[in-house]
Amino acid sequence: MVLEATMICIDNSEWMRNGDYSPTRFDAQKDAVSLICGAKTQANPENTVGVLTMAGKGVRVLVTPTSDLGKILACAHGVEVGGEMNLAAGIQVAQLALKHRQNKKQQQRIIVFVGSPVKYDKKVLELIGRKLKKNSVALDIVNFGEEDEEKTEKLEALLAAVNNNDSSHIVHVPPGPSALSDVLISTPIFTGDGEGASGYVAAAAAAAGGGFEFGVDPNLDPELALALRVSMEEERARQEAAAKKAAEEAGKGEKGEPSTSQDAIMTENVDPGTSEPEKKTHDLTDDENALLQQALAMSMDDSSSTVAVRDTDMSDASADDHDLQLALQLSVQDGKGDQSNPNDANNIFADQSYMSSVLAQLPGVDPNDPAIKDLLASMQNQSEKKEEDSESKEEEKK
Amino acid sequence: MSAEAASSLQRNQVDLLEFIDWSGVECLNQNSSHSLPNALKQGYREDEGLNLESDADEQLLIYIPFNQVVKIHSAVIQGPEEEGPKLVKLFANREHMGFSNVNDFPPSDTIVLSEDNLKGKPVLLKYVKFQNVRSLTIFIEDNQSGSEISKVQKIALFGTTVETTDMKGLKKIEDH
Repeated sequence: MVLEATMICIDNSEWMRNGDYSPTRFDAQKDAVSLICGAKTQANPENTVGVLTMAGKGVRVLVTPTSDLGKILACAHGVEVGGEMNLAAGIQVAQLALKHRQNKKQQQRIIVFVGSPVKYDKKVLELIGRKLKKNSVALDIVNFGEEDEEKTEKLEALLAAVNNNDSSHIVHVPPGPSALSDVLISTPIFTGDGEGASGYVAAAAAAAGGGFEFGVDPNLDPELALALRVSMEEERARQEAAAKKAAEEAGKGEKGEPSTSQDAIMTENVDPGTSEPEKKTHDLTDDENALLQQALAMSMDDSSSTVAVRDTDMSDASADDHDLQLALQLSVQDGKGDQSNPNDANNIFADQSYMSSVLAQLPGVDPNDPAIKDLLASMQNQSEKKEEDSESKEEEKK
Repeated sequence: MSAEAASSLQRNQVDLLEFIDWSGVECLNQNSSHSLPNALKQGYREDEGLNLESDADEQLLIYIPFNQVVKIHSAVIQGPEEEGPKLVKLFANREHMGFSNVNDFPPSDTIVLSEDNLKGKPVLLKYVKFQNVRSLTIFIEDNQSGSEISKVQKIALFGTTVETTDMKGLKKIEDH
């Protein structure tokens, strides 16, 4: 965790209006800057970061090196795009700002975003680079935006003049689908020569939705993540129940082999149209089942009403197929039998958030446990399978 | 001059090596493979093959803090004939100087090294200016031949300590 004072030089010249990095080059840059600031301040609490702009009316320091992240992020607001970037002056002002840092023990680093063409000579840049090296200031260059050979050459020369023991880096980001920040995350600019900041980087990537399903970080928003996950499971359960029904109806006469489910996890391949007999048996032990039902029975208040309605739907939708009818009747009976106990629980399952909170409160019950998921699936099946049956029948007819 | 140099050792001048606070020692513009300990540390500095070398240009800025207040009497700066330092400025008690502000203050002493000095002859400093030294900054401005890189083989400082309290020796007075 290197103790560092960093100055970030932003390019806010006219070239930043271009939209080849979404939404505009300037916004992409701002995102990258805020990510870097966060990473630096997290890597070491005593790190300081400052920001300056190089174009506009002239080089302007927006915020002097500080460890207050809020101040740093706020300063980027209200920055106008325009003018021409002055690279040499920008770097020199950054060096001056670093020289006057409060904590002299901090290592000095300048991160410069170069998006517009560089009008300075290679010689001038090399001179600046050597001066930076002499004062042990490291330099990171982000080359994006305008691309021409000269620019790349000049920046490489600048890097070579500054570089001391690989403490300075250059990154070329061509325009493309991925955002500027995402590309930068994997570079040494973020990872800081391999140490520190990687924890923050992982969190940042995750928060952007990359690492987690549903794009929501459970750390940031646990209820939302849980609700999303449960509803997804419910949907899968429904689909699987429909498939199961279809399978049952297809293989009812022959008592299809009871294939034991592997993990009792919902497979994604299940859809109502499959003809393969894929029966899934629940691996729940009777104890668990009884316990859970007991708990649910204790907590429920609502009375069931919808079951009767669904029965009438069933009879209306009776199929021409004799086998199907038989199967349906059998399944109705099954449903009725099972429903005697957790009758009222069906309505509870309609309320997702309530159910999930109940499950969370039950000691020893982990909502993620596959066995519990199965149980939920079975419960939901019973309350909704009438509709599923009519659906699956229609699909079978197709 | 040589008599004086010899007598400096007789007057209880000690090598201030053991009073250097190594955690705060800094050197700007040094070549990372030829760094300051090569010139300062016992053993390394005696080795002629190990030098402190400059990097981007010929100037070097060395900052040496002490863990006690010292008086510096003389210094030995050894280096090769060609790339050894020539003009050296010393600043007492100036913290964290940079190349940009090195010319803003008058130095406590300025020495021009001759060939003899580079071979090991001590340089006598203006003792009155170095009576109460907490840190020393050595600015090597150029070298003998004007080459791009300056090389220093050994830096040794001689002087005495001021009577300062040794905190470790401080003990509680026993009650009778």
